[in-house]
Amino acid sequence: MKRLLLTAALVLAASPALAHKLKVFAAAEGATIVGTAYFAGGGKAQNSTGRLLAADGTVLTEFRTDAQGGFRLDVASRQDYRVAVDSGDGHVAETRVAASELPLSLPMGEGSSTPSAPAPVAAPTPATAGTDAIEMAVARQILPLRQQIDALEERTRFSDIMAGIGTIFGVFGIFAWIAARRPRTP
Amino acid sequence: MAHIPDGVVTVPVLVAGAVASAGFLGLGLRALTPERMPRVAVLSAVFFVASLIHLPAGPASVHLILNGIMGAVLGWAAFPAILVALLLQAVLFGFGGLVVLGVNAMNMGVPAVLAGLVFRALWRRDRPRRTALLGAACGGGAVALTTVMLSLSLVASGREFLTVAQLVVLTAVPVMVVEAAFTAAALGLVARVKPEMLEEG
Repeated sequence: MKRLLLTAALVLAASPALAHKLKVFAAAEGATIVGTAYFAGGGKAQNSTGRLLAADGTVLTEFRTDAQGGFRLDVASRQDYRVAVDSGDGHVAETRVAASELPLSLPMGEGSSTPSAPAPVAAPTPATAGTDAIEMAVARQILPLRQQIDALEERTRFSDIMAGIGTIFGVFGIFAWIAARRPRTP
Repeated sequence: MAHIPDGVVTVPVLVAGAVASAGFLGLGLRALTPERMPRVAVLSAVFFVASLIHLPAGPASVHLILNGIMGAVLGWAAFPAILVALLLQAVLFGFGGLVVLGVNAMNMGVPAVLAGLVFRALWRRDRPRRTALLGAACGGGAVALTTVMLSLSLVASGREFLTVAQLVVLTAVPVMVVEAAFTAAALGLVARVKPEMLEEG
């Protein structure tokens, strides 16, 4: 009974808690990749080392996150990027920034995921410059929203907790069933 | 803190973790008798949930591990209990990776079994104070050993020892304190009201 109470207390104390897991969020804001590294449910990953990689894994630049876990990286070409962060204590996280997020005016890089996109003109014409300004404004507006969705994905849901507990009891129930069918050795 | 994600440790560490875990799992499964199965299942579920309780600790947050008390109550059977819970944490919450499951199970399960062996050898039914102190030592000790093994797994994978040790050990201290107090209280209670639980198996 006491044990049952103990279990119940632990389960209740765990209500919608969050995972201790490093996450990195990155998005393009004009020709800059902005993002944050944070522990899902915990604090920001301050002063962690990070790397900006090309899609094929070559390291383009290294950086450190600031006190808010944030970083800003200027990029020179329009291609797929990967951002990897390492908090030093065994947590790593990686995310992607697709070429399609970056402005059309940047020169096309290798490994772009949008080969069907119209070939960029060498110099930004007034038309593309205007598009870039709009795209940048929209990107800045929806950034907090995207960050929120990203964090929401990591929420530990009550249904997940119950599914896990149910599966554990089920697994050991099957064990018990098999063990009970075996003839008992005295 | 104790859950290593995929892509951090190198292949030799992965293999060592998998081999050690397979061995301990084999021994642990032999301790799984039908009579003890419900207890193993309950504590496995407690371990599964305990990782969701977060304590703020400086820049990061840490969570309980509870491997000391699992070892004390379950003995060898603590290993399969921890392995099943870790598998589900990886699948449902993304806590730790699937490929490194062996390493994570080794880092948390081996201290559990060792704490259990020490506790069962030294506790006395008629000495409640000694039992509580022993519980504190096992609870805190298991976390400390997990921390050391975690640091070693990372160092063996080519991380710089000093950085890893600082970060990992610093965040582990509050967990050790909380777990020592919790394990002492829980085992003290069990030793008083249901001592046979700590004797069988």
